Amino acid sequence: MATTELGVLYKDLVQSFSARPADLKKCGVLLSKLKIGLISAGLLVPQPDALLEDLVVAREILEIGAFWSIRTKDIPSFDRYFSQLQTFYNDFSSVLPPSPREFPLRGLNLIRLLTQNRIADFHTTLESLPLPADSLTSNPFISHPINLERWLMEGSYSKVWNAREEAPAEEYKFFVDSLMGTIRNEIASCEETAYDSLPIKDAGTLLFFNSQSELVTFAQQRGWQVNLTEGTITFAKKGEEKVEIPREKLIQANLQYARELEQIV
Amino acid sequence: MADVEMKSADEKKAEEAKEEEKPKKIPLTPAAEIKQNAALIERAVSTFEPRFTHRVLRTLTSLKKRLDADALRDAIEEIYPTESSLRQQLLSWLPAATSDHTMEVDSVTTKQPPTEPVPETEIYLRLLLIHYLLSSSSNYGKAIELSRQTVEKIQALNRRTLDPISAKVWYALERAYELGGELADARPLFLAAQRTASLRHDEETQASLINRLLRSYLQYNLYDQADKLVSKTTFPTSASNSQYARYHYYLARIKAVQLNYSAAHTNIQQAIRRAPPATTAPGFYQAIHKLSVIVELLMGDIPERSLFRHPVLEKALTGYFEIVKAVRSGSLSQFQNALSKHAAQFEADKTHTLIVRLRQNVIKTGIRRLSLSYSRISLRDICVKLHLDSEEDAEYIVGKAIRDGVIEGRIIHEKGWMECGGQKGGYGPEVIDVFNRRISYCLELHNQSVKGMRYPLNAHRKELAAAEGARSREKELAKELAEGGGDFDDEPGLGEGF
Repeated sequence: MATTELGVLYKDLVQSFSARPADLKKCGVLLSKLKIGLISAGLLVPQPDALLEDLVVAREILEIGAFWSIRTKDIPSFDRYFSQLQTFYNDFSSVLPPSPREFPLRGLNLIRLLTQNRIADFHTTLESLPLPADSLTSNPFISHPINLERWLMEGSYSKVWNAREEAPAEEYKFFVDSLMGTIRNEIASCEETAYDSLPIKDAGTLLFFNSQSELVTFAQQRGWQVNLTEGTITFAKKGEEKVEIPREKLIQANLQYARELEQIV
Repeated sequence: MADVEMKSADEKKAEEAKEEEKPKKIPLTPAAEIKQNAALIERAVSTFEPRFTHRVLRTLTSLKKRLDADALRDAIEEIYPTESSLRQQLLSWLPAATSDHTMEVDSVTTKQPPTEPVPETEIYLRLLLIHYLLSSSSNYGKAIELSRQTVEKIQALNRRTLDPISAKVWYALERAYELGGELADARPLFLAAQRTASLRHDEETQASLINRLLRSYLQYNLYDQADKLVSKTTFPTSASNSQYARYHYYLARIKAVQLNYSAAHTNIQQAIRRAPPATTAPGFYQAIHKLSVIVELLMGDIPERSLFRHPVLEKALTGYFEIVKAVRSGSLSQFQNALSKHAAQFEADKTHTLIVRLRQNVIKTGIRRLSLSYSRISLRDICVKLHLDSEEDAEYIVGKAIRDGVIEGRIIHEKGWMECGGQKGGYGPEVIDVFNRRISYCLELHNQSVKGMRYPLNAHRKELAAAEGARSREKELAKELAEGGGDFDDEPGLGEGF
């Protein structure tokens, strides 16, 4: 019973998802129903004895779910769908036929990690991709986040800014905004250490702001002193280096040495 | 104790008997060595002294290379009494012997000690059998089978004296699975055993198993799981140096992937220090240095030139040497060439992704060199010298370098140049910390080695007796002198002179 009902819902979902523009609300309702269906059919966490076709369907439902979460801008939900998909991608890769959506989704996940500035996780994920390292760059879905990461690491922020329109898939654009936020924060923290003060106009261009008011609110968030009359931004000095001799620590260390030496001699 | 000594004496006789039969080339035939080791294990069990077992296991590496079916058969047949069922079990793993050989061995077995050896000996023999089976690729299936059985047996026996051997057995098991190409299948086994081992405070097995697990995770690039394993377990402090070296190596690999280079570097140094000398374990030495070179580069340091002249490393590191040269000169094109030329090697070493990351370091090293040689340099010049695409990029890149602490300096935006801060003074609180760390390391080392000294039981008695004797002799002498000397003067304190 469950499987026939699932089949109907699944067709419905595919239809409403591939329609242009996709009926996102309906997809959401269908997805939550389908998830319950998958659980009762024991397919949400796939077992090795499950039927191959069922697994493929389950994978597709989850994939659509992941795309849907991005379109509805629900990142935690994307996270959940993606981690459920991982089982299909990693542990069942030898059994299931490869999915055309696998690499777009993996790429999206990489971008998500980038935008959240989780660089260590980004590299761990990159390392565990089932591709040989030198073919990573030939896969457009993967090479995009790789390039972005490289530029971010180098500090070529303007290249990232320029690449924001060159996304290989529709869904990648969703991350552009949050990526820009990440970049701005990066640049801002660089400026704080690298400059004493900056003219407002130049700060605006460096941070890719179009209007001065945006810049001023941003500056206030970061606690910069904006001097509108002189047209400069002064960066808050992060605590002048205090050179103080840690007396207590020194005394303790010396006593410790004395005690140890006494034991030896 | 006496009993054991008797036995080893017995065996020596057997050995001599054997030696008469065939001319001796090497000091100890493998079979004889195995028998000697069995005796040592026997002694370790009866005296609860794990160090005898350790001594046995130290010979494992060299013994492994000389093992053959005949030696094993000889050893098993001589250690076990003829009627023992274990003997048949163990022998069944070996290929059938040629008939005349069995005859000859039979005559030797009559001299056997009649007692059944301790289970530790059996496990040790099984360990040797696994290693023997692993030496030819057709036997991998059998090796897996045998190692599984052995592990089950170990767990059923649950004897503390078995711990050091069982740690080695786990290693052999992993090796069997890896060579058989089914390493992933062994993981549940390791995980279960790791739990048991930590419950039983079996630290050696625990250390060995943590390394097994890490290896199997890293083999399949599962850095996430490996990292979680590391954070959830504590590596036993009493683990042997070789286990520590491995553990540090795996940690370094995980940390390098997670961009935590300085931590990775510390781990690498630990691993190098604890690793056996280059000539005994060249494979590990090369692997760790490959990683070390890359991590050092990623940290912005240039590895020493002498490293690449090391006889063990020279050949293995050629690809890496080219990368180092490229990074050192800050030339992106040279870097790209070296990378594509040696891509296959890097791929095999699993350092490819790390090396790709070096690209940004080529730039960073360049900036660093500029900052050291100029006190003030315009952004345009930086752009030209480092082959950057635009001045705008250069500004961001320099800014980032300053923030990341690669260079000390400041950008003066209005004038379009970078001012490089002077070097910090060499004295300050950090120096104290560094000194403190070193001193406490030395003190710790001293204390540990004092603790590590071994005094044989009751040995001081002998010395005491000798001292006692010396003292009484001294007294007599003093008395004689006093008596004899009495003729000359009556000074009472003559004895004090002694």
